[in-house]
Amino acid sequence: MIKTIGLKKSFADNHVLCGVDLHIKQGEIVAVIGPSGSGKSTFLRSLIGLERIDAGSILIEGKPLVEDGRYPSERTCQKICSGMGMVFQHFNLFPHMSVRGNLTAAPLAAKKMTLDEANTKCADLLARVGLADKIDAMPSSLSGGQKQRVAIARALMMDPAILLFDEPTSALDPELTGEVLAVMKSLTNTGITMVIVTHEMAFAREVADRVIFMDGGIVAIDDKPDAVFDAPANERLKSFLRAL
Amino acid sequence: MTLDQIASRLSTAFSETFADWGTIFKILMQGIGYTLAVFAVTIVLSIPLGLLLTFASRSRIAPLRWLTRGYVFVIRGTPLMLQLFFVYFGLPFLPVIGPYLKLGRLAAANIAFVLNYAAYFCEIFRGGLLSIDRGQYEAAKVLGFGRFRTMMQIILPQMIKVALPSVANETITLVKDTALVSVIGLSDLMELSKKLVNSMVNVTPYIIAAMIYLVLIFGLTKLFEQLEKKAAY
Repeated sequence: MIKTIGLKKSFADNHVLCGVDLHIKQGEIVAVIGPSGSGKSTFLRSLIGLERIDAGSILIEGKPLVEDGRYPSERTCQKICSGMGMVFQHFNLFPHMSVRGNLTAAPLAAKKMTLDEANTKCADLLARVGLADKIDAMPSSLSGGQKQRVAIARALMMDPAILLFDEPTSALDPELTGEVLAVMKSLTNTGITMVIVTHEMAFAREVADRVIFMDGGIVAIDDKPDAVFDAPANERLKSFLRAL
Repeated sequence: MTLDQIASRLSTAFSETFADWGTIFKILMQGIGYTLAVFAVTIVLSIPLGLLLTFASRSRIAPLRWLTRGYVFVIRGTPLMLQLFFVYFGLPFLPVIGPYLKLGRLAAANIAFVLNYAAYFCEIFRGGLLSIDRGQYEAAKVLGFGRFRTMMQIILPQMIKVALPSVANETITLVKDTALVSVIGLSDLMELSKKLVNSMVNVTPYIIAAMIYLVLIFGLTKLFEQLEKKAAY
């Protein structure tokens, strides 16, 4: 579903990704953990074309988003990434649009749905994330947890095969993370491939099929959650888990 | 002097100073056409032109960016009065094309004002765009919006909200700046009030002109208050 080969990326002298090789299968739930600066966010963002890598290849559903550091045209990239959705740390809702507007703008712009279809789907998805009553609210009137749930519903509007989460609960007050994690958990049996960068270790352990520990720009450990958390095989991972 | 005498002197002095309000007002209103014409043409043309300059200043084509930066530098770095003189008196002196650039006073005033205000609006809009979080572009991108749709549906509506108070400020300044057209001999509100003051040896026309400017600006202030309410979210 997602295959990366030797991803490298630097910002000036700072080598953020130093050869990331990873293969994520369809329907897998993968948690990416690691200390800050380990490259996990950059890695995730490069999968959907928000960061341009310097070297390596990324295959999305078998199609090359980048091959040996060379990108195709912007349009082709957009097409390849169209099966992917992303949820951001800071929600990035459109503040000038209602919740309904946030959800329906993209499918309507892409002419993927009629107005009726979009409205129906919008209502369904909001009900699914427990925010049916907020359909006409403006984002500024929502709590952080509600905003993030709207953002998840917005990503689901485009029927993504792959959903990327970039620290979806890191900007939330602790008492609001639960509602977002619950929504994310409810998505794990829908067949959507999920890649989740997170600091919520208990959540990672509970929902993930695989846990990736990134350190110094490479995949240091790639294993089942039990193996990663119960018997950490690596000194860096041990000290990382201890520090939490 | 009795109280009666004082009262009568005062009233004579008063009627001499504030003579013929109606007549003065009527004469001044003959000049308001030019004031309003320059104002309207400048607002209608310089805002879209300013927006185009903003896009050019962020273009992927480097020379276009340099050209825009240079333009804004020159316009902001020289007096509007000089620009007025240059368009009206200066252009005809240009070699070869000069003879074709003899403009009427109103046309020259409009051109100078539009070119000047476009540079300021360009900077206001550029500042508005800078205030928009990168996350908005990223969210639009991952949702499949193209560049054009991202700009029109996501970025511009937010930019307008940010820019509106500065646009209001600039618009109010423009009303008063129109008084500068008197220097190339257009008989606008300012020019007529000056002439009246000189010929009547009486300050009343300035007071009436000031009140007319204030009424115009009061209206604009109210209009922008409404617009800001509309743009709030």
